[in-house]
Amino acid sequence: MNYWNPYLETMAQEELKRIELSYFRNIFSHAKAHSALYREKLRDIHPNDLRTLEDIKKIPLTEKEEMRKYQEMEPFPYGGLLAGDISDVTTFRQTSGTTGKPIYVPETYESWQWRIEAWCHILYMAGFRPRHRIFLPFGYNVYVAFWEAHYASEKLGCEVIPGGALDTKGRIHKIMEIRANGMMNTPTYGLHIAEEAKKMGIDPGTLGIERMLCAGEPMPSATRTRLEELYHCHVFDHIGGTEPCAWAGMCEAKDGLHIIEPFFLVEILDRETLQKEVAEGEIGVAVVTPLGRRSFPLVRFNTKDLVVKGKTSCSCGRTTQKIREVVGRTDDLRKVRGVLFSPKTVEEVIRKEFQEVEEFEIIVERRGLMDVISLRAEVQPQLPVGLIEGTKARLAESLKIATNLSFNVIIEPPGSLPRYTLKAKRFKDLREG
Amino acid sequence: METIREEIEKIEKSAEKLKALGENNPSLRRNAEILLNFVYVLKFIAPDLKNLP
Repeated sequence: MNYWNPYLETMAQEELKRIELSYFRNIFSHAKAHSALYREKLRDIHPNDLRTLEDIKKIPLTEKEEMRKYQEMEPFPYGGLLAGDISDVTTFRQTSGTTGKPIYVPETYESWQWRIEAWCHILYMAGFRPRHRIFLPFGYNVYVAFWEAHYASEKLGCEVIPGGALDTKGRIHKIMEIRANGMMNTPTYGLHIAEEAKKMGIDPGTLGIERMLCAGEPMPSATRTRLEELYHCHVFDHIGGTEPCAWAGMCEAKDGLHIIEPFFLVEILDRETLQKEVAEGEIGVAVVTPLGRRSFPLVRFNTKDLVVKGKTSCSCGRTTQKIREVVGRTDDLRKVRGVLFSPKTVEEVIRKEFQEVEEFEIIVERRGLMDVISLRAEVQPQLPVGLIEGTKARLAESLKIATNLSFNVIIEPPGSLPRYTLKAKRFKDLREG
Repeated sequence: METIREEIEKIEKSAEKLKALGENNPSLRRNAEILLNFVYVLKFIAPDLKNLP
């Protein structure tokens, strides 16, 4: 069977949209009745006003900043974001707090099971089946991603190996010891494990990983290809977040990500006005409404994820709306010397053309009236000294072509740049603050 | 889908009944509640197109 839920995944788009409208009205009414945030926010809108999906554009977007404000209310610690009785909450999760005070997310047994069901779509689409023994190389802590992965893997019938409380070398040994054949990790950490394995004299391609699901960072296709080459495996991507859940995943065609319909209503809106839906092939901001999670309802949540809208057809036979590419975060897009710049472009260039670069960091700073953009790059220790200058010159040239910006390229000694296990922070804008 | 929906509703009725019967038995009551959580998910993943507004 190719589909986790063939009924939903091959349904005509018009039918999916009918279901989504119906579910949207349900979650809208629930949110308005049970959450202080939405009681106030949706005060002047009645569910009967929502007759078409076009009508929902009248509803203001939900922004993280206002969620923080309502979180300060009672009951502690969820405040006005909780929609229901606090005694029904069975799990605490929280956001990483990268952009401010973390958001605390209450999950009831019901909402968690709903969330896990959505996640099963992502795993199944990526070809995970009960025969897979999946290694999760993280301590999960209070962050949701790997808990979801863990529970969804179990639900699907896979065998899960929690790989927390080990260092990278320990994890490599554990993968070999128990013959794991699946792994889920950030792209950065996937590359780091491969690098460490090589240092231990182990070819990462011999670790036995057949399938890898990546999360946590935008993954350029060149990074995905590099991981596939390193591990000799299939690598898949997905997108999501603590608040909206994981809402789109990659199928075996590896041609964009399928939105998990009808679990999520995803609007891809023009990034300037945040009103109009963009056309296929255009970049927009993803606005997500999880349609069945009642403990912590979100109505039109502004994810700030920039994506390229894709088709509603795929060689895999699914009929769900696709996104062609995850571009990055609106927070990551910066104007440098008047040019709109995305750090993902740099990663794409490096992973595609510069196998000798092991780690990098981008720094933007202001010197006088000028913005200066630098790339600190770490090359493989075995690269002959005579070739380093050539790499440096080629990097500057390729980055100029890809970004229209002149980079000051600095080659750093091996091991001097930080390594990341979760979300990498390779972009530093020192002009701020 | 109609038959599937009918079966889900049967489970729902049965779980509601179990929950009531387990009023003085926390284990029975909680397991019945958990069944109802799965009923919610089942209804969500098997929408009845005929009865959509």
